Amino acid sequence: MSINLIVLYWNYIIVIMLMMAGLYIIISNQNFIKKLVGLSIFQSSVFIFYISLGKVSGGTAPILTGIEDTVYSNPLPHVLILTAIVVGVATNALGLALVVRIQEAFKSIEEHKLLALKKEDGLKDIQIEDSKEDSAV
Amino acid sequence: MRDNPVFKIVSKILFGPIIIYGLYVQFHGDYGPGGGFQAGVIVAAAFILYSMIYGLEEGRKLMPDWIIRSVMALGVLVFGGTGIASILLGANYLDYSPFAYKIYKAQHLGIIIVELGVGLTVFAVMLGLFNAFAGFKPHK
Repeated sequence: MSINLIVLYWNYIIVIMLMMAGLYIIISNQNFIKKLVGLSIFQSSVFIFYISLGKVSGGTAPILTGIEDTVYSNPLPHVLILTAIVVGVATNALGLALVVRIQEAFKSIEEHKLLALKKEDGLKDIQIEDSKEDSAV
Repeated sequence: MRDNPVFKIVSKILFGPIIIYGLYVQFHGDYGPGGGFQAGVIVAAAFILYSMIYGLEEGRKLMPDWIIRSVMALGVLVFGGTGIASILLGANYLDYSPFAYKIYKAQHLGIIIVELGVGLTVFAVMLGLFNAFAGFKPHK
């Protein structure tokens, strides 16, 4: 029974494995570029989930063949994911561009180093703001 | 590693077939899996391979930035122009039926033109993204 379930729902199992792998990469790595790679693996798992849902077994591409009783795959999830892939490329490029800017400004793309920098800077910022308020008052 | 002759020769051999495969995916897109998005990425991959092996400057000589920018806009123009053309011929936006006498042939023609526009834009955007990241120079 359980082997039968695995064979029947192998697409879900692969999707969950990919998704968890991506999530693990995002939370376990300090490097922003590795995080982006994890994010794109996570994204691909969602794509595969939708695409495999849209597949009808024995179905062809949704083009009218003229033959009656033709089974077509559901084109809606496929088109949705086509758009999502394009958006995914664009967001990936945006994320990489942000990482480049972070490297340029702070000379590091490791999260813990940036957090340490933020802690130092944050204390300074508060002091500066306090002095400004004092002078305004 | 870039001076390795194996890479240079293999990339030279692969350059043509990758583009031909991209064109196959482009023109097969109305009947089967494929279309402008995939074809654009495949053709861009050939140019990216060339840039990676021979250096960014050689890649920019092969496909200058002004061509990339113009092709980017040209693809959108082809896509939108097809829609405007069908309005001018008396149908709705992106309705391909007035392009030919038989509706089947009209749809066929319309899909191919629109996918060509998509393919050109995707090709140029992919190559532009690669060039922008690879040719990034830090300020000062």
